Amino acid sequence: MGRRSGLGPLGAGSIRVRVSLRIGSVLVDVEQASDANLVVAVGRWHEPALAEVYRRHGGAVHALARRILRSDPPAEEVTQEVFLDLWRHPEKFDAQRGTLRSFLLARTHGKSVDVVRAEESRRRREERTTRETATAAYDIDREVWDMAVAEQVKDALVALPDELRQPIELAYFGGHTYKEVALMLDEPEGTVKSRIRSGLGRLRMNLLERGIEPAGAEL
Amino acid sequence: MSHREIEELLGVYALDALDPETAAEVEAHLEGCVRCAIEVGQHHEVTGLLANSGGTAPASLWSGIAEQLDGTSDQSWDRLAARLDAPGSERAGHGPDGGPPIAPLAPIDAGRRRSRWAAAGAGLVAAAAAALALVFGLQVHHLNGQVNALRTAPQLSAAEQAALASPTTRKIPLADTSTTGADHTPATIVLTAAGTGFVMDDAGDGLARLPADRTYQLWGVVGGRTISLGLLGPRPGIVPFSVAGSASVTEFAITNEVAGGVVVTHNQPVAVGAIRV
Repeated sequence: MGRRSGLGPLGAGSIRVRVSLRIGSVLVDVEQASDANLVVAVGRWHEPALAEVYRRHGGAVHALARRILRSDPPAEEVTQEVFLDLWRHPEKFDAQRGTLRSFLLARTHGKSVDVVRAEESRRRREERTTRETATAAYDIDREVWDMAVAEQVKDALVALPDELRQPIELAYFGGHTYKEVALMLDEPEGTVKSRIRSGLGRLRMNLLERGIEPAGAEL
Repeated sequence: MSHREIEELLGVYALDALDPETAAEVEAHLEGCVRCAIEVGQHHEVTGLLANSGGTAPASLWSGIAEQLDGTSDQSWDRLAARLDAPGSERAGHGPDGGPPIAPLAPIDAGRRRSRWAAAGAGLVAAAAAALALVFGLQVHHLNGQVNALRTAPQLSAAEQAALASPTTRKIPLADTSTTGADHTPATIVLTAAGTGFVMDDAGDGLARLPADRTYQLWGVVGGRTISLGLLGPRPGIVPFSVAGSASVTEFAITNEVAGGVVVTHNQPVAVGAIRV
């Protein structure tokens, strides 16, 4: 049963697509289409739309997966899974709840953490994970270096008190559960839980103060 | 857990720092609590900024993704129905600012420009109407047998068969527009009252198989506009589509296009059909 037509140019080393979408009565170059429009097109199994989503966000997705997993093969696998998931379940993206990039990165993070924890579980059978190993994993410079807003993001994060920043770093970049973070920091679980939530809220305010407005609906 | 207890977990949930069981509890809560869902969305936006190291997407990875699209898209009726019924699927059809629903999107060939369907769409409709007038009388008697054959076709899923058997579902046989195929029905449109449907290439007696660089493309006249309803591939089989959320579709047509499809067609339809009021 014939299904998909191939996209030759996409598989030949270039992921640029030169196709358009009709949105309402308007013809829009796929590169000019909004992320939300692209997801609608993906919902119609429009491969060039997925290719454009990948072109826009594949770098960030791959970089995050590689950052958390610290190894290329599993990072590539996670990257592919993230975009294939979007292909199969585009309805999971809700444009009213946030940007497509944050949605893809959240999915990337979740999948990467799953891999990390599976690996951790295996490794724990062999040896105890030391606190030094976990804290040494953090390197914010590498994480945001290429961003246009790298300095502001870094400043916003550094501006957080240590007790708010550390648990976020350990959980997000280290892939640890908050209970593990509590053990690492020798703090009560409830305290870590609250500090992560407060820290994310403060970080958002810090970003806003620096002129960076994270997307997402307002409460 | 209470709402307040869930609230306390939103930060660690957004960081994937919960055990799977607790995370599932939070997710269940988020389904019904907009306030909490918004807060999680905000946390994801913040962490997205932290995570974003930019850079270009590795081109080598795309080919691996593209290879897996074939055969994994599973364009079954079940999947399409689930997708269209899923919470949030309608919202995804809105612009980022929550604007009006976005009309169905049409694939386009880079080399083409909107010249014919915009200006000559009426021409195709007229051609389709003419072809219909020619073949309508001949195809009616064929319909019952056609539908019965579809109902027993082995490749139909249970959901597809249920849709086919529903009394509110319309079955629109498409007429072969070639001069030699006036009594031939190469494909049938199955359209539910909800606006979802599938086009079925009649096995063994349907649309001629196309070379790999060509594709059949389904068109519909919806609300007076001619729009692409999707690519059917070089050998269609069963392919779902949707006109849900749009005005009623009045005519269907299938054209033979270059692989990847076009947004406006320069080709005469190979099959046409209209919905009788």
